[in-house]
Amino acid sequence: MKRQDEIDPITLTVIWKGLLSIAEELGLTLRHTAFSEGVREGDDFSTAVFDAKGRMIAQGPFSPGHLGSFPYVVQAVLRDYFPPDRLRPGDGILLNDSALGSGHFPDTFQIMPVFMGERLIGFVCNSAHQVDMGGAAPGSQKVHGVTEAFQEGLRILPVRFIRGGEPDEDILRLVTGNVRMPDKVRGDLMAQHAANRSAAVRLEALFREQGPERVEAAYEILLDRSEASMRQALAKVPAGTYSFEDHVDDYGPETPPIRIAVDVTFDGKGEVTVDFSRSSDQVPAAINSYLNYTRAYAIFAIKVFCDALWPQNAGNMRPIRIVAREGSFFNPRFPAPSGGRAALQVRIFDTINGAIAQALPERAMGAFSHWSNPNIGGIDDRTGRPFVLYDVGLAGYGGRHDRDGVEGLSPVMNCSNIPVEVHETLNPVRVRRLEFIANSGGAGRHRGGCGLRKDIELLNSTATLSLLGDRHKFQPYGLAGGEPGALAETILNPGRNARTLPSKALLQIEKGDVVSFRLSGAGGYGPPGERDPQAIAEDIADGYVTPEHAAAKYRFAPAE
Amino acid sequence: MIRISFDIGGTFTDCVLHDGAGGRVLAHKLPSTPADPAQAVLTGLDALLGQAGLAPANVAAVLHATTVATNAVIERKGAPTALITTAGFRDVLIIGRQKRYETYDLYLDKPEPLVQRRHILEVAERLAADGTVVESLDPASVDAAIERALASGRQSVAIALLHAYANPTHEQMVAARLAERAPNVPVSLSSDISPKFREYERTNTTVVNAYVRPVVDRYLGQLQDALKQRGFQREMMVMQSNGGLVSPALARRYPVRILESGPAAGVLMASLVGEAVGARHVITFDMGGTTAKLGAVDDGQPAIAPAFEVDPVRYRKGSGLPVSVPAVELLEIGAGGGSIASLDMGMIGVGPQSAGAEPGPICYGKGGRQPTVTDANLVLGYIDPGYFNGGTMPLDAAAAAAGIRQHIGQPLGLSDGEAAWGIHLVATGNMEHAMRLVSVERGRDPRRYALVAFGGAGPLHAARLARAIGIPRVVVPAAAGVGSAVGLLQAEPRIDVSATRLMRLEAASVPAMAELYSELERRARAELALLSDAGGVRWSRYGYLRYAGQGFEVHVDLPDGAIDESYPARAAAAFHDAYQRKHRYRDEAGAVEAVDWALVASLPRPPTGEWRFAASADQRQGRRNAWFPEAGGFVETAVMARASIGSQGIVGPAIVEDPDCTTVVLPGDLARIDASGHLLIDIARDRT
Repeated sequence: MKRQDEIDPITLTVIWKGLLSIAEELGLTLRHTAFSEGVREGDDFSTAVFDAKGRMIAQGPFSPGHLGSFPYVVQAVLRDYFPPDRLRPGDGILLNDSALGSGHFPDTFQIMPVFMGERLIGFVCNSAHQVDMGGAAPGSQKVHGVTEAFQEGLRILPVRFIRGGEPDEDILRLVTGNVRMPDKVRGDLMAQHAANRSAAVRLEALFREQGPERVEAAYEILLDRSEASMRQALAKVPAGTYSFEDHVDDYGPETPPIRIAVDVTFDGKGEVTVDFSRSSDQVPAAINSYLNYTRAYAIFAIKVFCDALWPQNAGNMRPIRIVAREGSFFNPRFPAPSGGRAALQVRIFDTINGAIAQALPERAMGAFSHWSNPNIGGIDDRTGRPFVLYDVGLAGYGGRHDRDGVEGLSPVMNCSNIPVEVHETLNPVRVRRLEFIANSGGAGRHRGGCGLRKDIELLNSTATLSLLGDRHKFQPYGLAGGEPGALAETILNPGRNARTLPSKALLQIEKGDVVSFRLSGAGGYGPPGERDPQAIAEDIADGYVTPEHAAAKYRFAPAE
Repeated sequence: MIRISFDIGGTFTDCVLHDGAGGRVLAHKLPSTPADPAQAVLTGLDALLGQAGLAPANVAAVLHATTVATNAVIERKGAPTALITTAGFRDVLIIGRQKRYETYDLYLDKPEPLVQRRHILEVAERLAADGTVVESLDPASVDAAIERALASGRQSVAIALLHAYANPTHEQMVAARLAERAPNVPVSLSSDISPKFREYERTNTTVVNAYVRPVVDRYLGQLQDALKQRGFQREMMVMQSNGGLVSPALARRYPVRILESGPAAGVLMASLVGEAVGARHVITFDMGGTTAKLGAVDDGQPAIAPAFEVDPVRYRKGSGLPVSVPAVELLEIGAGGGSIASLDMGMIGVGPQSAGAEPGPICYGKGGRQPTVTDANLVLGYIDPGYFNGGTMPLDAAAAAAGIRQHIGQPLGLSDGEAAWGIHLVATGNMEHAMRLVSVERGRDPRRYALVAFGGAGPLHAARLARAIGIPRVVVPAAAGVGSAVGLLQAEPRIDVSATRLMRLEAASVPAMAELYSELERRARAELALLSDAGGVRWSRYGYLRYAGQGFEVHVDLPDGAIDESYPARAAAAFHDAYQRKHRYRDEAGAVEAVDWALVASLPRPPTGEWRFAASADQRQGRRNAWFPEAGGFVETAVMARASIGSQGIVGPAIVEDPDCTTVVLPGDLARIDASGHLLIDIARDRT
């Protein structure tokens, strides 16, 4: 405790707020200079500040997907590729390896050592989702027909991308020569570097102002206290092992379901282990979840449930262990393909939610509507140029112990939808319909959110349709007596030669074809019989449920 | 020329009179009368005219800022409204953009829409993105929708059809039918209110307009009548969010444009003050009891943003209802005098929880139990417990110290002064972070800016902030307590019209650009006809542009002059400069595209003449202990009223007390008063 007396609480506060502000501003700069839609609209990027030993001290409030991976990325890079004594002022490291990074190639990480004079004082880092990294299909996230990572694009193990403060033009040429949109990728790589550089200037200023000894002593205190706070939060959860199992429909037409099984063990003393080992083996399709990605969303879930929402750092991650059997779906061996692993994040959360509901029923909610991430691409008849309609379909949240599920909100990952008017301006399509599906939300004391229907008509002569959805076979579960949400469906040409499509598939469509996406409803919470009749009447008035459904599920008869 | 202005807020109504001939400025602040707002206005204006020895007939301009529209949204007290939209898309308003405003909060709820789903009605029709009719409007579906709207007692109707920004015909046909069936129900069309693409934002903007329209209409009508009866001969003008004035006729039709009326006037006041002290670049800092608002004036012009949010949750971006009409650029954060200090992991945190005005800080003695920023400032000696609000509200310093000791000092082993200093420092740090976003992150070099600080708590934190960011000068305006009312006097009538048209800046686009701007001019002229002030129109253009393929646009002031073959290159040059200023990056070879195009018509007002603010008669001078860490803690500090500073100035540490705010002058900084009565602080160069 002697060490802690050396720094007064005000100075400690100033250092901590300063670090958080550096990490956040790094991200704001990146967001506003990026070309990639994922970065701009989807907040698909992250930022963090590390100490000279490579321990994460603070991070910006951005994508949980990269945030949770960051500590492991930097540790591995410093251990296996760039020992700190080999780094010099003006250096910057670039990588995108799936296993070392956050689980797929489009996420590029840049790590910049920061010096005060000749003394290494830490690292500033960011990751960003690039528009393309080459490989089998635009966007480098093709799921179908991809059986190993080498088909997914350019793999960059850690390289010294920045030397003497300038990008290595040779590396840049190598990268841009292997991607579909070289200008954008170049722009984003430079934006990542510039954002790091401005953060490095501020980190150095903080060290000069406070003195390196004092800042480094503050780091120890911050990490210890963060760890203690996390342990305290985890210790509040009743001790025990809580297990839950669910299934992903399949990984393509004619393939078996993937089992997602989790055992969450709270020791009652402040540690938790989340173990996915009982899940299926890795699959020959690009939706495997590398361990860093599994860690990221499992840690996110634990934090959400334990209300432990302090900024993440190496300290508060110490008491959390995320485990998965090597070779399993959640810890695959390289070169397992993984481009489309984002499809899984909702399910990692859902499964842990199902387990923790047994320990913390008031924190859990019914399962989400699973999201849908289709692409329609081809050559635009009007211009002769390629087009890709990239879409995100997002629907309801599960019912909560005290409230209904929210309608139409991004689950887990946090992104915006793409306006109908933007799609129709850029691509040869017409959206025919975008609306909630009545009666699809799981019945319960608190109803699950509705599924969402979106019908898209192709106006082009032909196009390739890539489907990446789920919950066509396994309903989003309800909790505490609540009913599951309705299954999802994807229908080609509803009302004329209607054909049901699988949740994940690749097919050609022709002019005039209408693809109708119908997302699953979210799970309900609590027995439907306990639902407030007034809430049922409101739902009928708003059309979220029909009178027939209300009569069947809730035995509801309108008051005369 | 005698001009008079009034700003009606929830608590106070501020009235200001300016005599252009001698420069005299008179101010009067009195409690608002929410049941009949005109009552306070007339009382205030009477008082000013009486003091000046003038009659209503002498007044050449009456200018007004109001929160009536914003309050109707925040309190959800607008008119029962229906939304008519394209069949198949009734849920656009409820779905929104679907992003959580807190990534790590999965228990949050979305803002309550202004129209319930049951009142969202569909008509069969469809336009393509270029405005061509894909499916013509089905009259039977229109009649059915109107029938339902009227049967359910809707008093205002919004119409927002897909792609209506590209072709207003269908919306106009629905409106015409509604006018036949119910001539008294006001109608707001998305193609008229906010003709931009992105259906959620356009629909919501239209719905907000419809929702507040009957409320604003009634309010402005009553006010106009009352002023007329009292003998004011010139028609009142109303402040819009864009910092320009409009006639009541336009405000009543487009009330969505006056949502940010008061804050816009505040930024204009800062630009007026900047002008007076020779600062063309100003960061504005308005800190009150619960929030701080930051804005900017660049090269004499208030910075304008293309959209803003009304009724955000905890000031988080993305949590409110988006409104796509131009508004002064303001960043609002939950940091005010009432922000509560607490401990987390043995460190001090401040806000965003606020004690507000009720119960307020501990020192108010109204039941507040948690220490706030104001409590800390009192303990630090910055605020005089006997001279808060000009002495009308005695503060309990001992209770403030005890609260800080209990919640912060004792747990951390700090003295009262140290603990209070910690709170002050963290609060200032929170604002510093926000100010960095407004300045450095948006390409504004702090060394070229002056900080204009106002609001009850702004001047108290301003010098520390200026030092942290590197701003060389702080200005605390005279009459800062009635700042928005003063700002009104600086305003000009202004109309912004805009359109969405995704176009590359290249030779092939020239005919389309020219056509677009003649259409915008036609729309602007139609509105100018409803502006009662005559006079020569000044035209200017701006747009929202980006490198082709990006998703964020930057504001670019587009060149004047003929739109000919040279125009794309001139516009691109303006874009490259603007982009580089903001993002420190330039790609001359990159293709540039414009998303939104705007035209501004303003009516230059005659020069306002001199400004001489009535100096307070107060000549108080004294000393008390105040905390300055650079001086080692509590030191005896000079305390004086503004009037007793004199032109030679005073070197800090010092405290300058006005009845409505307190200014802290840091050791080594020089404070003085200029001819207009503004307080200027030059930050010691080696401290920035």
